[in-house]
Amino acid sequence: MAEAETPTIALRAPDTVMKLARLGAFHQTRLSFMRQLLRRMKAEQWRFEERVFDIDTNGVGHAVYVAHTPRHSYSLVAFSHDLPADQRSDRVIATAWDATFTLFDGIPDEADIARLAKNVPRQEGGRVSERELSLSRANRSVRLWDYVVDRLAAGKQPDARKIAEVGYLMRTTAVYGSGKFGAADRDALADRPEFRAPFQVEMLSVYLTRAFVMDLVEHMARVRAPGQALALDPVLRRRFGIGNSTGLGMAPFLITHPALLNNWVASREEALRRVRALPEAPRATVSAFRQTAARARIHAHGWRSEHPGQQAKLEDLRADMLALTEHLDTADMTAPYPWDRLWRWGEATLSLEGQEQLVSLLLEPHGDLVDDLCETMSADEEDNWRIDGAMPLADLRVIIEDVYGWALAIDWSAKPAQARIWYTSEEKLEPRMGERFEEPLAPYEQPLCPGRDAALMHAALAASDAPTVAEFLLKHPEHRHIARRAQIAAQLPYAEIRDNTIDASMMPIDMLRMKLSFFGACHFDPRSDRWVRINMYQNAPFPEDLARNAADDWTLPRLPEVGE
Amino acid sequence: MSWSLNEIEALARKAARGGGMNWGLAEETGKATRWLCAAGWPGAETLAALLLAQDSVTWDAVRPRTDADPWAARDGLLCPSAAGAALTDRARDLADGRTIIMAATARPLLLVPYTAWAADLAGRPLSIRWPGVTVTCGGDGVFADIADPAALTATRTETLEIGPAEHATGQPLPRAHRGDLPAGAVETLTAFAHRTYAPGTPESRASGAGAGLTDND
Repeated sequence: MAEAETPTIALRAPDTVMKLARLGAFHQTRLSFMRQLLRRMKAEQWRFEERVFDIDTNGVGHAVYVAHTPRHSYSLVAFSHDLPADQRSDRVIATAWDATFTLFDGIPDEADIARLAKNVPRQEGGRVSERELSLSRANRSVRLWDYVVDRLAAGKQPDARKIAEVGYLMRTTAVYGSGKFGAADRDALADRPEFRAPFQVEMLSVYLTRAFVMDLVEHMARVRAPGQALALDPVLRRRFGIGNSTGLGMAPFLITHPALLNNWVASREEALRRVRALPEAPRATVSAFRQTAARARIHAHGWRSEHPGQQAKLEDLRADMLALTEHLDTADMTAPYPWDRLWRWGEATLSLEGQEQLVSLLLEPHGDLVDDLCETMSADEEDNWRIDGAMPLADLRVIIEDVYGWALAIDWSAKPAQARIWYTSEEKLEPRMGERFEEPLAPYEQPLCPGRDAALMHAALAASDAPTVAEFLLKHPEHRHIARRAQIAAQLPYAEIRDNTIDASMMPIDMLRMKLSFFGACHFDPRSDRWVRINMYQNAPFPEDLARNAADDWTLPRLPEVGE
Repeated sequence: MSWSLNEIEALARKAARGGGMNWGLAEETGKATRWLCAAGWPGAETLAALLLAQDSVTWDAVRPRTDADPWAARDGLLCPSAAGAALTDRARDLADGRTIIMAATARPLLLVPYTAWAADLAGRPLSIRWPGVTVTCGGDGVFADIADPAALTATRTETLEIGPAEHATGQPLPRAHRGDLPAGAVETLTAFAHRTYAPGTPESRASGAGAGLTDND
């Protein structure tokens, strides 16, 4: 092989990757946080224990599920309630839920449980302590819960197709972590390896929640028909994930955590680059890739949404998966740099959904090559927020033109460019998005529109004779926020979403999907342009199965000929 | 009541913004308050008192005139958040051995975290001194030499100096993961933070929070 043929394989440019439409087409990968957690559980041989299950015939009571790691124990404390149907809502403005949870640091005693029973069911209205690591709640799926209880109580298994239509028995809504409502700060757990990767507390809480929900549905069938009720067939049982409804509140997080956003995307991009840079593909790896691609195709067909935008994207994705299958039938994977060739074919051929699915697929058979990047996905925002005041003003201007060039091209005097406004409502103190020119919200605007702010600062820079950033900001403190962001983005290429986050056509669900894909979520189902439902841990092994089963081969459905 | 440091920072950031600071300064004020609370110092009380005293002042009145020596406000007392931001922005001067002197300054305790950050940026130990208090930051940590405990919570100081540290004196500062906030300070900060919240309206509930298809199925 002539060395001259070695392609230069660079990271994808931030201006390509950090567009909302592309971020809104991301899929889970083997770097996703749920998968990191399950691989660790398996590798470290975590033990699990259902320590308390004290739930009455009306489904009211509490339960404690403990995960024992080699160093610490963590307990999901679950409170189960008898919620009137008219109070059930996934929206953040709800005040009561079917079940409420906290992840406790250690094993709670009776006094802890008594304290938590007074606070956890109230969620935002209650108060937890540094012994608690998360606070969350879940509601039953009306479509599936009663059906499954009825079937099991009648001594029958639920129908697999009905399960597939929903995919879970309960949906979590908010899962609060890091210091919220009095809980322990993430900083306080920084020395625990099991929580070093992002969102491991939340992912553990949801994993144990799934186990509790499955036990609860069987319990409710048993109390309805003692002696007759069945337990769920283990094969069907695994088909239940745990649902989640995520609203606007999650979107600002990506903007307020630029270093973290960078590290997530940079890890994924570096993983893609490494795979593309492989000069050859062993036959076994190609075979594994083909199989994963076939499984992803089944996954695309099983993914349901009523949202017109997502339906169109699903049509694209299904066509893309067919095109990939057909391409693989003829592609020469023995030619040099076969993964890069495949990637270039995908970039030229597939929709954004298909391209980003291809990223996930390319990583899948290359765990040995990319899994170490899991270690680079955390970030300490504290390392990056200080302003370099000695920077010459001309340098700041160059940064703005480089990182925010797309924003300088926008006519910000046109109403659609600034149609939206992010604010915090006084009701539940959660982020909302309003219409700038229709509601009197301007005094309450949150700094969540870096593009516009960068354009404003760029104009002020042109008019300033200050020699340094320090002198400029002394006279123009209103630009301090965006000056900081610009300096961060100059160091961390994927720190900034390079799109207008207040445009009339902006879809917050793109931000939600991007974040949830890093969690490892599947089956994104937008319910409007502002909130999305997902499924988590569908087909994953339960705690009691982990020792005997693969920890990391569950995200995509199995092929019929090798599956159940 | 015991608060997480994230909660303290968020409350202080919003309160500072509600008290009239722009977002960039408010962000740093939130971090400064967190820093003080983690040290067991009355960060929340100090910020609450500052915001009450500075309510409705203009930035231009309380920011430092950095071309003068000592730094001083145009009218009255220097705002420690404004002075702190200007200080960290000039960390390179401090690295070169410069000493910055400030004239009449409100709530000097709030300047301690900025001194610690400036020492980090400058890569050399710095000390901040006002009558009754010397705090040395950098190198082996933060050391507080407090001759007069009342000076820590002083409403103002007539002079204050930040410059190279010779050698640290006093006690090492503890770093906790929680802060105890007194109810009065929480009430004041919450009231300032409340100014950043838009009143709830039916339109806002209907669309702003993200309604759409049914959420109960």
